[in-house]
Amino acid sequence: MIALASLDWRAAARSPRVLIGAVLALAVVGCALLAPWIAPHDPEDQNLVASLLPPFWVEGADPAYLLGTDGLGRCVLSRLLYGARVAVYVAVTASIGAMLIGGTLAHLAGYFGGRVDWLIGRAVDVWMSFPPVVLSLILMVALGVGVNNVVLAIVLVDWTRFCRVLRSEVVVVMHRDYIAAARLVGFSHLQVIVRELLPATAPLLVTLLSLEMGIAVVVEAILSFVGMSVEANVPAWGVMIADARTTMYQTAWNIVLPILAVFVTVLGFNLLGDGLRRTLDPRLARGA
Amino acid sequence: MLLAVSVLLFVVLRLIPVDPLALSVSPNATVEEIEKIRHEMGFDRPIVAQYWLWLKGALRFDFGRSIYHRESVASLIARTLPASIELAALAILVATVLGLAGGLTLFHVRGTRKEPVLDVASIAILSLPEFLWGLFFILLFGVHWALLPFTGRLSPEYSMPAARTGFLLLDTLLAGRPDMFADAMLHMILPALALGVGFSPAIMRVLRSSLQDVYAEDYIRQARLRGIGEVQILLRHAAKNAILPALTLMGVQFGFLFGGTLLIELIYSYPGMGNMMVEAVRNADLPVIQAVGLVYCIAVLSINGLVDAAYSMLNPKLRPR
Amino acid sequence: MPLLEARNLSVAFGPGAVPILRNVSFSLEEGRVLGVVGESGAGKSMIARTIAHMLPPRFELAGGEIEFRGRSLTRLPERERRALLGKDIAFVPQEPLTGLNPVLTIGRQFGEHLARLSVPRAARERLAMLMLESVHLRDPQALLRRYPHQLSGGMCQRVLIAMAFAGDPGLVVADEPTTALDVTIQARIMRIIAEMKQRHRTALVLITHDLRLAAHTCDEIMVLYAGCVVEHGPAKQVFGEPRHPYTRCLALANPSLSGERRELVALSDHMPGLTELAGIAGCRFASRCPIRGEDCEAVEPQLALQSPGRRAACHHLDRVEGIVAHAASAPAPAPATAPVLRVEGLTKRFSEGRSIFSAGSRDVLAVDNVSFELRANEFVGIVGESGSGKSTLARLLMGLEPPTEGRILIDGRPLVPADAGSHRLRIAALQMVFQDPQSALNPRRRVASIVTQAMEAGSSHASWPQRLERAQRLLGEIGMPQDSALRYPAQLSGGQRQRVNIARALCAVPRVLVADEIVSGLDVSVRAQLLNLLLRLKGGRDIALLFISHDLTVVRYLCERVLVMYRGGIVEAGATRDIFERPRHEYTRRLLAAVPPDDLNSRWAGLEVPADEIEESA
Repeated sequence: MIALASLDWRAAARSPRVLIGAVLALAVVGCALLAPWIAPHDPEDQNLVASLLPPFWVEGADPAYLLGTDGLGRCVLSRLLYGARVAVYVAVTASIGAMLIGGTLAHLAGYFGGRVDWLIGRAVDVWMSFPPVVLSLILMVALGVGVNNVVLAIVLVDWTRFCRVLRSEVVVVMHRDYIAAARLVGFSHLQVIVRELLPATAPLLVTLLSLEMGIAVVVEAILSFVGMSVEANVPAWGVMIADARTTMYQTAWNIVLPILAVFVTVLGFNLLGDGLRRTLDPRLARGA
Repeated sequence: MLLAVSVLLFVVLRLIPVDPLALSVSPNATVEEIEKIRHEMGFDRPIVAQYWLWLKGALRFDFGRSIYHRESVASLIARTLPASIELAALAILVATVLGLAGGLTLFHVRGTRKEPVLDVASIAILSLPEFLWGLFFILLFGVHWALLPFTGRLSPEYSMPAARTGFLLLDTLLAGRPDMFADAMLHMILPALALGVGFSPAIMRVLRSSLQDVYAEDYIRQARLRGIGEVQILLRHAAKNAILPALTLMGVQFGFLFGGTLLIELIYSYPGMGNMMVEAVRNADLPVIQAVGLVYCIAVLSINGLVDAAYSMLNPKLRPR
Repeated sequence: MPLLEARNLSVAFGPGAVPILRNVSFSLEEGRVLGVVGESGAGKSMIARTIAHMLPPRFELAGGEIEFRGRSLTRLPERERRALLGKDIAFVPQEPLTGLNPVLTIGRQFGEHLARLSVPRAARERLAMLMLESVHLRDPQALLRRYPHQLSGGMCQRVLIAMAFAGDPGLVVADEPTTALDVTIQARIMRIIAEMKQRHRTALVLITHDLRLAAHTCDEIMVLYAGCVVEHGPAKQVFGEPRHPYTRCLALANPSLSGERRELVALSDHMPGLTELAGIAGCRFASRCPIRGEDCEAVEPQLALQSPGRRAACHHLDRVEGIVAHAASAPAPAPATAPVLRVEGLTKRFSEGRSIFSAGSRDVLAVDNVSFELRANEFVGIVGESGSGKSTLARLLMGLEPPTEGRILIDGRPLVPADAGSHRLRIAALQMVFQDPQSALNPRRRVASIVTQAMEAGSSHASWPQRLERAQRLLGEIGMPQDSALRYPAQLSGGQRQRVNIARALCAVPRVLVADEIVSGLDVSVRAQLLNLLLRLKGGRDIALLFISHDLTVVRYLCERVLVMYRGGIVEAGATRDIFERPRHEYTRRLLAAVPPDDLNSRWAGLEVPADEIEESA
């Protein structure tokens, strides 16, 4: 916690990327949290009479369905909002999980070096031999559908990304003399890792966390597109996209809108991550 | 390495709670019939024995039979893998060209007002995953402006040429049918473009930061002090040094790209290995999943190996004396 | 007409800002050598950049003129200016190892340069080999096919020198060409530069922080302080009888290799940086000047002619002779008590497993059978160049590496590697002061927190007020102001950071300080401050010092005993006076010869090493 507090949040808050990214991300989170209250309809409510209605800015729209309806007459707006719940839930839990596993292993590998590093490095190599899409699909086959399984699958795939990137950073910081100095002053290994190492790697950690949220949203969308993600009656953006493919010729909006939703969410997290990287990393900001 | 990978695959897949046989056996089968099939396929043996059996087969390229297709997995892969390789190769080309061009442009505008604009643009491109680019291109170039085809490999009026190499593009040329070649290429443009565009921003950005690092080095300044012009500096001095750190990341990205072919094939109904994999996943067709998963890993490892080799060749510090 | 002439040259950071180079004027005739001497931040590198017209971003020419062969360098169109570079004006860089492109062979880079000099393709290889031979590099043909990382620093520098002189330039600008090199190589490089200059009749601008070096190698010296020229005159006179108080202090802040032992004159504080310059109206040196008068801070002194060829900028030149260094007594040998630290047969072997050279490992013997003792309150120096193993020895002592053989005893008790009890014993008795103050201080901690880090360790729970109080006492002891306790390292200067480094080591009240090149990167005046601080500490505490350095003059000033290391082993050991006056080992003699002598009339032996003795392995 001290590590997080030591970061220069004020500088971060002045960066336009951080602000825009944060606004976008928070907007999506807001939609997710408030969906039950702001969604006009039940997302699973079918109305076959009013199917394939266009959004309000196109002729022939029904004001009751602001963004139109899909092939089964379900309200697109409501489905988008509820889909945000899935996306945000997966994004937050999976990225934190991946960070905890990957980050811990990275620090252990970088700090202790030697056999520990070798072992963890080999594990990461084996894991990263799988293209992530393929591995997450296979994991979902093994785990079965369900949003928590999606989270688990993403954590199991993406911890390697955290581990590899953070480990190189840890190795760089380990070369600085103040790490050795802390040991010489009597710090235990744990004290050195927590009080000297973590504050130094915290900027990268936070950046990666933000980027990982974007990645998690994408992976979830892929999985639900293929039909291997959430249960059948849960709305998710990937499911919306898959469904809308069949009706692409009649109304393109059904597929464009969820694509836009994914895009905006991932863009928000990416901008946030990029902005944080530029402002929190002292080497880029001022040369320390 | 491969061994470790295959063990991992096997272990993961055997945790499936779904009974793989249930889907491919008719609902009226009796318990004895099911047990007979189970015994035939070896699913009743202990897990280590199952792995050993599989491994022995794998070394002979016998990956068992697909539960769904009732065909040998090896022949399924032999049919579909070349298509995926062609797509991936074309996409890698697109990604590299776009990535290099974009990286150089981003680097060129550094310090000017255009830089943040282009920089955010590259982040925006990065924010749309390749399968969504694929759908977007279908919408734009396939539906809205019906310019390019987006299903399958050839237009319906053509039939597949003799499979001499297994690679469609080569086979059409070998069969002396340039019109079929053109048609096949047209069908590949959108999927390759989607993949390439999706993966190019990562390459752009790493190239840009790599160039920035190189230009801060002493020897660039010394070269300038010797009066060498900027173009020469970029081509002769900076390029090679900048490519090196970018190569490692490019290798990783190409590995991801190959995995990305899976979705693109699905979206474009492209008969490659990825499409088959999705089908297998939906049907819990274990032998196929296992074998195809292994092939993907081999592909990634090969790509990484090639990139490592290129790196050692280019970096004089790694070449033996 | 002088070859290079500068008139009231000024460079500032941004328009209308305070100039960091101010009214610099000099003129250089053909074939002459001008030494530009100053500490870091004085602006000497900026002069080189102005000649090349490659100022760093946002720095601009704020006034004045600089002309080469009568043509203005700053107003020259880009193409013509570029045509001069490398041909008529050449540069020798400070860092030779990074000055060459690592992915191109020497031959390719030299060839490219010769192509630029319009040498026909067929003649290029031969000319390159000729030039490499002229800088005494053996086997030039093989060298052309090598890559920079296969060469040593000295060899790279010679290649760069060869390239610089290849075009028969009228002017060569060498910016600290020997600073990054070992002491014994330094002299040879200076000699090669002198030879080339003679042969090609080139004028030379030598930028350096080393006044003594400049005195031996240059015709004229121009001393810079905070961007202004404070003194300018014939080299030997400026060094031998400095007129300006700063020059005099600079000369007296350098410990000498021979002669009477004097206390170093240490100026307080540091040279004003960019941000501080704005607030100074009068003489920029006034705040630190020992002969400061009332008018000094209000009115800026002008560079005036004192005698033919001698110029100095000071209001009170008559008082300069009052600045003297007091005689100091030689450090007394420690009483013969039982040693605090004892090292027996310490050896460290590194095996480079996956080496780039060949399959199979290649062992490097970093420390070879080293044995010595250290008694309480004793200051012992360990002298050696790069590759001598001195840094590895420090790491072995501190337990950062386990020894391959041998043992370390503290108060007679041997230390066991990787044993918690030994670790505690070791860090209670020995503390280390690291070389690089930038890397040794955690940038996220305040000074007080760093200094009292020992109080945070293990299970001790000292409260913040307790730590602050302890920190302030320590800061007082090392001569830092009390308000620095709450600052961050980024807000401190290099010298101040190094003091914090020392304070941190002192907090645990160790018996021995291991100092690894702690004054190497510092300016002369800051170095003098730290050396005097260490001597003061010796008087006040019971503390022994193991001082590792490549600089013999510093070791002579500080230590009563010296150990000379070469290639991992101790080649000579003894009392300081004995070693310096009657060296016995060949290597010690070479080390001593490499330092430019104080007496300007005596020859600098290092300059005259015969050519074929110049051997260097990659």
